[in-house]
Amino acid sequence: MSALKLYYKYIRMNFLTGLQYKGWPIMVLQVLIVVITDPIGTLFMFSRFGSIGPWTVERIVLIYAMAVTSFGLAETFCRGFDYFPWRMIRTGDFDRVLLRPRSLYIQIAGSYFHIHRLSRVIGGIAAITWCLWKQGVRMDATNTAVIVLALTGGFLAYSGVFIMTSGIAFFTIQGLDWIYIFTNASYQVTRCPIDYMPKILRNLFTFFMPMLVISYYPASAICGWGESYFAGLLALPAGFAFLVFQLLSGASV
Amino acid sequence: MNGIAATLKTCLSIFRIKTAESLQYRMAGLAGATTSIFFALIEITVYTVFYKYSSNQNAGLAAGLSLRQAVSYVWLGQLLFLMQPNFIESDILGKINSGDIGVELCRPLDLYANWFARTASTRLSPLLWRGLPIIFFAVIMPPAYRLELPSSLSGMFCSLISTVSALLLCTSFGMLACSVRLGIAWGEGPTNIIMLAGSVLSGAYLPLQLWPGFLQGFLLFQPFAGYLDIPMRLYLGTMPPSDAFWAIGLQLAWALLFAAAGKAIMARKLRNIVIQGG
Repeated sequence: MSALKLYYKYIRMNFLTGLQYKGWPIMVLQVLIVVITDPIGTLFMFSRFGSIGPWTVERIVLIYAMAVTSFGLAETFCRGFDYFPWRMIRTGDFDRVLLRPRSLYIQIAGSYFHIHRLSRVIGGIAAITWCLWKQGVRMDATNTAVIVLALTGGFLAYSGVFIMTSGIAFFTIQGLDWIYIFTNASYQVTRCPIDYMPKILRNLFTFFMPMLVISYYPASAICGWGESYFAGLLALPAGFAFLVFQLLSGASV
Repeated sequence: MNGIAATLKTCLSIFRIKTAESLQYRMAGLAGATTSIFFALIEITVYTVFYKYSSNQNAGLAAGLSLRQAVSYVWLGQLLFLMQPNFIESDILGKINSGDIGVELCRPLDLYANWFARTASTRLSPLLWRGLPIIFFAVIMPPAYRLELPSSLSGMFCSLISTVSALLLCTSFGMLACSVRLGIAWGEGPTNIIMLAGSVLSGAYLPLQLWPGFLQGFLLFQPFAGYLDIPMRLYLGTMPPSDAFWAIGLQLAWALLFAAAGKAIMARKLRNIVIQGG
């Protein structure tokens, strides 16, 4: 419990620090524009080329938004891990963290927070709502539960990626850019309709980093594209398993 | 006159040193190239799906861009994208934040010229260690995924000149953002929003030709087409080399405008700059 309290204090402090800058509303606006403009290429492509068989723009954007929202959540609450290699390992500040008698994960996760990160989540949820409404999906208790569980699973999975990055940073801080394949680049994969997705990508993002498990399968289950609710509900366990796997490998480092 | 020559010489040296320094980070470059290649392959898959299976398959050709050209656009886009000013150079940002800018101001060298040289080097150097593996990969791909040869020799030549102009444009715009960043109390919001405009409108997300038709006129004349879309059109031959003259002129005109604006803003901000730290 004291860990959670400490985390809350860290986040609060970093949040207030961010508000000291005059330009913070602009920052929120900026990330919001990023969120809106990011899928703009996909939207323009659909408006020019039309749908791909059963794959309409709402379907693709829904899967995309599920992944983006999960990523946004992880980014909001575990951003510290993302900065960890450069802010802590390279500068040597990590030594000081090691001296404190508190959980390392909490200290690192809380070491950075900024309100504007939430705009990705807000934008994502808005997009999910729009897509579900467009497709006429009824939001009963089951469907809402599937979405919430999927986002939670996604949050855990992406947090796992951040922790993985930090673990690798102990060995090298230079060659870390490839990790973007599992963060910012991973949700770009969802722009490709799943029937046409190369097998290797599909397997990579299902069985290693469960990005499709937290985006495509839940979306498919509640919209009735052919996947079962069982597959849709796998999101949370899959995300959790990935996080635990990363925590264990992080602990052994 | 002597002053200008001396400044130029110093700036060239700064540029050379900075470039040589950043070329040491080979691993970082290769790791970055992996991401770029991954990105490019996804993009190509998406374009292929659209060009082959969508309900309106000929829309791409109607817009003047064939699938092969789109594939080449993706590869070269990954390369030229590295040049875009999406962030302020970390060296310079560090100096603004820590107050080291005071030391920079003591140097008998114009601050704008000094930082311009640094920024130009940061814009250019990723093209080597990160860019070359991308191009190497792009050329050895199977035909459906391959980067095509330029449409003509003169097109290639114009495209190269246009790329150099793009470097100037990217640098001067990066410096404009940097001058705005001198107002430290505002934080990163304003600068990021300025740079964001560039990355959206450059064509890195989607070739400008595939944007909606009614925007085309605006898209070609707005400054950020010069980042990568104009060099690309010349390479692919979607713009004939005879148009290169005004297209490159446009790039340079925007670069000059941004440089003038950046310098003016910097001069203004330096009049009452707050030095951090102590």
